[in-house]
Amino acid sequence: MSEPTRPLPVVEREQGGPGQFDQSGSAATYKGLPTVEGAGRTGRFWSARRIPAALVAIVILGGSGILLYDIAAVRAGHSAMQWRRALARELADRPLDDVWVLTGAGVAAALGLWLIVLAATPGLRAVLPMRRTHPDVRAGLHRDAAAMVLRDRAMEVSGVQSVRVRMKRSKAEVRAVSHFRQLDDVRADLDRVIGETVKGLGLTATPGLSVRVARPGKKG
Amino acid sequence: MLRTVNRLVVGLVGLILVVVGGSVLAVGLGAPPPSWWIYDGRHDVLLSRADRYRWRDEGWWWPVVIAVLAVCVLLALWWLVAQLRRHRLSEVLVDTGDGEGALLRGRALEGVLVSEAESLDGVERAGAVLTGRRSTPRVRAGLVLQPHAEPGAALQQFSEEALGHARDSAGLAALPAEVRLRAVKHRAERVS
Repeated sequence: MSEPTRPLPVVEREQGGPGQFDQSGSAATYKGLPTVEGAGRTGRFWSARRIPAALVAIVILGGSGILLYDIAAVRAGHSAMQWRRALARELADRPLDDVWVLTGAGVAAALGLWLIVLAATPGLRAVLPMRRTHPDVRAGLHRDAAAMVLRDRAMEVSGVQSVRVRMKRSKAEVRAVSHFRQLDDVRADLDRVIGETVKGLGLTATPGLSVRVARPGKKG
Repeated sequence: MLRTVNRLVVGLVGLILVVVGGSVLAVGLGAPPPSWWIYDGRHDVLLSRADRYRWRDEGWWWPVVIAVLAVCVLLALWWLVAQLRRHRLSEVLVDTGDGEGALLRGRALEGVLVSEAESLDGVERAGAVLTGRRSTPRVRAGLVLQPHAEPGAALQQFSEEALGHARDSAGLAALPAEVRLRAVKHRAERVS
């Protein structure tokens, strides 16, 4: 069902010097900034799920509050509210294969599935986890920011007139338009520049690349 | 703590909805229910009058219903308020080493962190909030990067300088931090 806690990586907090970085088995292929060992799988950021929780709380609060009020009013000698009598009548009269009952049941089941998915998945898909360069610091890079950095670097390649970058969770798609130089040369340069930049982002999982270069469309 | 509760309760509500909705759907569409299940066929109703009147004449029935509903209301209210409230540390305990302690205002430490972060290369704006306990504070920080800044380098600088200085000056053994990096929106510009 739900996976309530995110796994906190156990980080060695010894002052062991650089020796602790020498263990093999790290998945990182990039040797730039030192990565703290054991942080290879820092994992995703887990959302606190405040908004779904608040909505569920409001529904529970409203439902039980109104029911409580009405029951207390009836106990105090007032008559029940119209909606409660109508609801009790409908619940007692409609058979299970009534179309409204089926619709309601379907909606409830779908909503329940959605809530279970919300409870069990990390969320925060727009935040890409970054490699730990410091044992105490967990960092995430927003996808838009990553795309913007890649775009800025791509614009520096000569021959590139305009470029669009779409950052997906595990892949960066670069679409460039080149107005001079051979397309193959531009593509090779872009590949190299973007490849280096992607590593410089410092993400735990270096995203894959897809680079396409085209000539500007003919006018008219 | 709150995130665990949120996920558990949201998941539990979802599970109840799936079980109830799914079973009504299955029975209503003609699946044969097991003998112990509350509905015994597609012509059964959701809540019959006999079910509703079952315990009505018992003396304990209405007090129990009212108590359960009241507990639901109170728990839901507490839960809702907990979503809206942000935990923020108001002061940090500084160990002065002479058996005494000093209190550092949380806002002051946050302000120092922010201004030092904003003075770093490549950081346009920053924000920081202290959470955790006053003897073991934690930081949640957000950095907004300038155009052409390198995220990895900016993070490295922030960890070593801003966070390191804050940790040392407050005399803390560790200052765990969660940092989110964004970038200033800007147009692509041709570098010539």
